[in-house]
Amino acid sequence: MNRRASYGLLLGAALLAGFASVWSLQKRVDAARTTLGIESDELTLRSPGVLKKLSLEYAPLLGAIYWTRAVQYFGAKHYANDQNLDQLWPLLDIATTLDPNLLVAYRFGATFLSDSPPRGAGEPDLAVKLLQRGLAANPQYWKLYQDLGNVYYFDKRDYLKASQAFEAGGKFPGTPSFMKIMAAKIAAEGESLETSFALWLDIYQTSTNKEMRKNAEDHLRLVQAEMDIREIDKAADSYEKRTRHRAMRISELVQAGLLQGQPRDPDGFTYELSEQGRAEPNPKSPLREEWMRDKGIEVKK
Amino acid sequence: MRNVPTVAANTFREAVRDRVLYNLVFFALLMMGAAILVGQISIGIEQDVIVSLGLSAISMIGIFIAVFLGVALVSRETDKRTLYALLAKPVKRWEFLLGKFFGLVMTLTVNTAAMAAGLYVALWSVKHPLVKSDAFLLVAVYLILLKLALIVALALLFSCFTTPFLAILFTAGIYVTGLFAADLRSIKAVDLDPRALRLMQGISYLLPNFQNFNVMSAVVHGRGVPAAIVWQATLYAILYIAIVLTGAAFVFSRRNLK
Repeated sequence: MNRRASYGLLLGAALLAGFASVWSLQKRVDAARTTLGIESDELTLRSPGVLKKLSLEYAPLLGAIYWTRAVQYFGAKHYANDQNLDQLWPLLDIATTLDPNLLVAYRFGATFLSDSPPRGAGEPDLAVKLLQRGLAANPQYWKLYQDLGNVYYFDKRDYLKASQAFEAGGKFPGTPSFMKIMAAKIAAEGESLETSFALWLDIYQTSTNKEMRKNAEDHLRLVQAEMDIREIDKAADSYEKRTRHRAMRISELVQAGLLQGQPRDPDGFTYELSEQGRAEPNPKSPLREEWMRDKGIEVKK
Repeated sequence: MRNVPTVAANTFREAVRDRVLYNLVFFALLMMGAAILVGQISIGIEQDVIVSLGLSAISMIGIFIAVFLGVALVSRETDKRTLYALLAKPVKRWEFLLGKFFGLVMTLTVNTAAMAAGLYVALWSVKHPLVKSDAFLLVAVYLILLKLALIVALALLFSCFTTPFLAILFTAGIYVTGLFAADLRSIKAVDLDPRALRLMQGISYLLPNFQNFNVMSAVVHGRGVPAAIVWQATLYAILYIAIVLTGAAFVFSRRNLK
């Protein structure tokens, strides 16, 4: 090996060792910063107005970048089971100020904000604020009325305003009749499982986004389970009236002819009766935890 | 006037020889990266990002070329002393300036057109087929080109009477100030002298308003741009460029080149 090749080899090895040291050092720095509790997602600049000025003529691009940051922030928190989503609103605020026509940020952002924990931030008031801002900037986009109606219905349980939102959206030419039907149904019934099912089914059928469809599907499974449980409880009440004692197993209701067969939840698990003789999802069913959380029952791990 | 096309053609050839168009490789890589990455890390904005990133890149790369090459158009000829040989021939100073201007605008047009084609390819890769509203992109690209032509004219003007470094600073400064021209008009300062406020508002009308060429927000979301905005911006650019180049020719014709 001549001298030149040896130098080359030596230089290559030195560079490799140098990069390996940098790699290792960075890991130590990361660990040290973690113990310091420095949050990497801290927002340095929180003023949307200032950011818009600083973006010069590139506000739409910066808006898209902030929206991506919001998605990443939400996803990372969700993945880490961290329910502190205090940066979500500022990120959405900035993204929609930079680009007031960024419709996707209003629609998905409202879902992220309004869904109750652990699915979302549990901030329906901010979701309403976001959607109203979206409607002010995009008054012809009727789907924001649908989203507003959904937030009022599911998260704020304000059925009058939910009905008004669906009605307002239904007035635009070309909107599906679903909007007017929902407006009338909510105004007449308030909250009902059938209405909830119809709302989630529409989201599931019309959404083109994978995550949104998955979210709607999860809710549909839960609402379906609620409807099944309601029917089983009805049968159990009839059984109690007839026999003067509460059934302890679903098979008793089947034998009495009150149920066609052993009902199963959307995941294929049979339902059970509790000690009080009320129907509930099977302990093995993935739906049970969600159902208990929805009912405000403490989930034992 | 017949010397103008010759100088312009040579300026274009020189820019190509200087590998100015190599930036297209960077642009292509950026668009390919964005097309692949955005779908993975965000929700529902694949198309928006491709368009806004593409237009921003066309604008930023163009501004970079317009400022740096625009300033170098005169200073390089002076430094290399090729200007003296050129002006010894029957070429008037204003013809030289105009030729340089059109040569760089031609370079920028080729560059911008190539990037616009790349943008369409990237857009097609995330959503095909392309739809009618995608044609609005061309309007945005055209307006960016007008903006770049105005920047070239400003860079030429400054390079006629100051050093290249200062000319770059002045051009960049005027560009940024021009983006805030409309804001200067709407300032509501309580303790500012009304005369000073009026003066500031007057100046704001004289500054080149670069927001006149910005239609990115509309185009990103597939909205059309009214024809009035396009022709008014075109007229504004022609008028402003004519003023700036006249000023540049005046300064350059009186410059002592000894």
